[in-house]
Amino acid sequence: MLKSGFLGKRLLIVAALAAATAATLPAEAKTKITMMHQGTADWVQTYKQVAAEFEAANPDYEVELIYAPHDSYNEKLGAAITAKQLPDIIELDAPFLANYAWSKYVVPISPYIDPAILADMTASNVAQGTYPIDNKLYAIGLADSSIVLYGNRKYLEQIGARIPTGVDDAWTREELEAVMAKLAKVDGVKWPLDLFRGYGIKSEWVTYAFSTVLQSMGCDLIDRKTWKATGTLDSEPCVKATKMLQDWAKAGMVVPQSAGTNQFYAAGNPAALAMGGHWFYAEAQKTMGDNIVVMPLPKFGDKAVSPNGTWIWAITSAAKNPEAAGKFLSYFLASKTLRDQARSQSAYPGLKSFAASSPLYAPGGAMAVAFDQADKTAVARPPHPAYPTITVAFMEAMDTIFNGGDPKKALNKAARKIDEEIEDNAGYPPFGTK
Amino acid sequence: MSASTLLQKFGWRRLSRLEIVQLVSLTIIAIVVVSPLIILVVASLKPDRFAILADMGSMRAFWVDDPTLNNYREILSFDGALPFGRYLVNSVFILLTTVTGGLLINSMAAFVLAWGQMRGRAVILSVLIALYIIPQESIVMPLLVLVNKLGMSDGFSAQILPWMASPIYIFLFYQFFKQVPKDIVEAARMDGASLFRIYWSIFVPLSLPVMATVTILLGIDMWNQYLWPMLVTQSDYARPISVAIAGFFGQDTVFWNTAMAASVLMMVPVLVFYLFFQKWFMNSFAGAVKG
Amino acid sequence: MSEMALPTTDKRTKLRIANREFRQELGMLMPALVLLAIFLVVPFLLSFWFSLTNERLVPRPVPASFIGLQNFQRVLSDPSFWNSLWNVIRFTLMVLPIQCGFALLTAVLINQKLPFRNLFRSLLFLPAISSMVIVCVIWSTLYQFPTGPLNSLLQGLTFGLAGPVDWLGDSAWSMPALVLLSAWQAYGFQMIVYLAGLQNISPELYDAAKIDGANAWQRFWHITMPGLKQTHVFVILITTIQAFKLFTQVNILTQGGPDGRTDTVVHYMIHSGFVEQKVGYASAVSIILFVIVLAVSLVQRRLMRDAS
Repeated sequence: MLKSGFLGKRLLIVAALAAATAATLPAEAKTKITMMHQGTADWVQTYKQVAAEFEAANPDYEVELIYAPHDSYNEKLGAAITAKQLPDIIELDAPFLANYAWSKYVVPISPYIDPAILADMTASNVAQGTYPIDNKLYAIGLADSSIVLYGNRKYLEQIGARIPTGVDDAWTREELEAVMAKLAKVDGVKWPLDLFRGYGIKSEWVTYAFSTVLQSMGCDLIDRKTWKATGTLDSEPCVKATKMLQDWAKAGMVVPQSAGTNQFYAAGNPAALAMGGHWFYAEAQKTMGDNIVVMPLPKFGDKAVSPNGTWIWAITSAAKNPEAAGKFLSYFLASKTLRDQARSQSAYPGLKSFAASSPLYAPGGAMAVAFDQADKTAVARPPHPAYPTITVAFMEAMDTIFNGGDPKKALNKAARKIDEEIEDNAGYPPFGTK
Repeated sequence: MSASTLLQKFGWRRLSRLEIVQLVSLTIIAIVVVSPLIILVVASLKPDRFAILADMGSMRAFWVDDPTLNNYREILSFDGALPFGRYLVNSVFILLTTVTGGLLINSMAAFVLAWGQMRGRAVILSVLIALYIIPQESIVMPLLVLVNKLGMSDGFSAQILPWMASPIYIFLFYQFFKQVPKDIVEAARMDGASLFRIYWSIFVPLSLPVMATVTILLGIDMWNQYLWPMLVTQSDYARPISVAIAGFFGQDTVFWNTAMAASVLMMVPVLVFYLFFQKWFMNSFAGAVKG
Repeated sequence: MSEMALPTTDKRTKLRIANREFRQELGMLMPALVLLAIFLVVPFLLSFWFSLTNERLVPRPVPASFIGLQNFQRVLSDPSFWNSLWNVIRFTLMVLPIQCGFALLTAVLINQKLPFRNLFRSLLFLPAISSMVIVCVIWSTLYQFPTGPLNSLLQGLTFGLAGPVDWLGDSAWSMPALVLLSAWQAYGFQMIVYLAGLQNISPELYDAAKIDGANAWQRFWHITMPGLKQTHVFVILITTIQAFKLFTQVNILTQGGPDGRTDTVVHYMIHSGFVEQKVGYASAVSIILFVIVLAVSLVQRRLMRDAS
């Protein structure tokens, strides 16, 4: 008797759950837009709010948000594609765009977006959303991104370091290393430089941040004409660049991976410099106030290079009603709610109107140097469909190198892995032929 | 071990020196072993992630001055930014359906193999025993392709159906059913009872101990699943709590406060069951081992 | 229905009953067999087929094709694969003595007729019911660098001589750190198994030894240990097989790093199949994994037979 009661309860729960699911089904046919995204809790909340506002303004539309966690987002997207559950709109990390466009998961977006917004895009925003094979725009975002060198004002003044004012007088490698050596002796400094290894060894950060060092020193992840990595990624300048990073880590100059990502602003300020993303400003500013100096990335080699590209939005080939998706995206990008949230995270403007309302990046603003830097020195990560492999291979190499492995060997292994992948895909036509 | 000797053990008596040494070491071991769990619960009551990390290096890790349920409030929603209420319900739903289905399906199959009359039962049994050797890990990649192609990904069915039937549980039931005296089955047959009838009204009530073992083993297994749901879920819809908690680590900043609260949330149901059915837990594990 | 009770010899009736019985048996057997076929046998066979192709997780403009044994060639010539296999062996060699030794120690202690032994047993089994994901949350805070509980403990015990250790980030310490948390989580099962084994040893043996004047240590060494022979074999092999499936801790806490020092076979497989989307390649790894597990199980059976 007791047992059947127990079983009965279970059935009740199942029935209740089924009823609950049924209740959430739309009562009448509205135009439904599905959007897959990632992000931390505050962003998730913002997206929900913008969607609600859009629905209130357009009662015939319904927006369904599909949240996929940041980690393994690319793989989650892959699964959605195989299962033919591709949503109408996807958020994607800019360097992966070439892969999605080549695989025909996403469609050219310009016809569906409000022309006013298209005209509002900054050059770097257009660049990150463009597929080089057909030169069409496939994705659009409110923001772009960059990395700058943050400094602890107090420490830098203590050692009398020269503080660069713009891209043109950025520190050179020698200057940076001299500053680091001096900082290491300052009381309270545990590590002169944070390279944000704390984001993890399988984080896109690795490629995003360190490929710029390679490029500054005269090499690249892959040859952008022949699309071969061997001979480029394992060339002498790349070995030299990664050896430099390795030496810093070996000498205890760099915040180790497990120490987290907050050593620059944590109590006592254990890290004196931080080569961090634009988003780090908002985080650090909360506790450090005016004690932060924002400087351009050092000129490690002959030319100054900074990264670009961030999470942007695209319409998929599965969208039955791309016009509706475009309508929502246009609303979304113009939304004040979204912009307020972005501003609170020191987002790097990708739309001119957003830049105009972001005093942080305006001339005289604390991050103005970042905006200037992107204009003059930004280099995108390789826009090639093999990018998912390129980045994974490079991350593995950097993990080896940071932990004392032979840079030449590690880079050569990565280069061979990339070339193997490209061969396996018959050169990713039409890439091999151009 | 009888109940009376158990009771006696609680009564104090004079202990030998060896026993005192043993008791003291046991106490120290127990404290060391349990302390990480205490830290977890304490940390989940702290105001924010900075407080948790700041206190971690000292004895303050075991103490909280101003306990707050804010971390729980932040995650206990069905529709918020961190819908751990939903994840928890997902996990419970997946567990209950898999276990209920698994009990029925495996025991029915085992019963036919033990007492049915169809030919080829022995062959089926040995094939099943051979299948037992295939580890879940070595089929997940093709299974993922299959499930994606069947359109089952990111849903509940993909997390439930693959693990309902299992050679090991069929075998556990089979072993138990085989021990039932033949006379009982034959007597029931002579009375004209159908096979299903015999199964349902004689064997099912008899097999409660095996049912309990399978419930506990399969239940724990489902509750702790991580690899498979990680591969097969994309959105919040059917994501179980284990994958959601692991997701804390994939972000640039680990929100220890909510991660701790979510972990406690995941731990509590198991703990409650464990407290009530402790003996069953231990017997199940020890029993499964012999089988 | 009382047809069976009637003394009928009518062949057709018998046949009809037999038919009905057969259908019923089939109906009871089929759900399990169908599910196992779809979700176990088919994927298993598919893994053999995929391993001979360059199948991708996500369909792409370049279709998959048959490539013979190329995947196996590549796996077996990839130093990273051998590294992951070696790591699993290292993990096994470290976790076996720690986990099984601790399990045996606690099992022996709670097998004594001490006060509160049931309470101790319940407490000591608590980690075993904790999900690995939760264990990772807890232990990654314990391993915090430079100021975590374990580092404080280390510095306190050595009066500040031993510096803070980067438990999960240091290539020398990352594997031992994973071993420690895995042992903490899993020793409870072995403890229960050992407890069962201990209770199978006849108390008379101990009484006889006491009369002969054997001390506690001698009794343990000459009665307990030989009495647990079969349990040892079982525990060791189960732990070994578990170690070969090591994944969750690695994926959550170290992602195989630093420098591949905690990469495992399953992690390597999931990385190539899921992250790099090379299902064909990953299938080749899964078949190699299967062969290894099979070999370990066969050795286990052999040893179990010898022990009994």
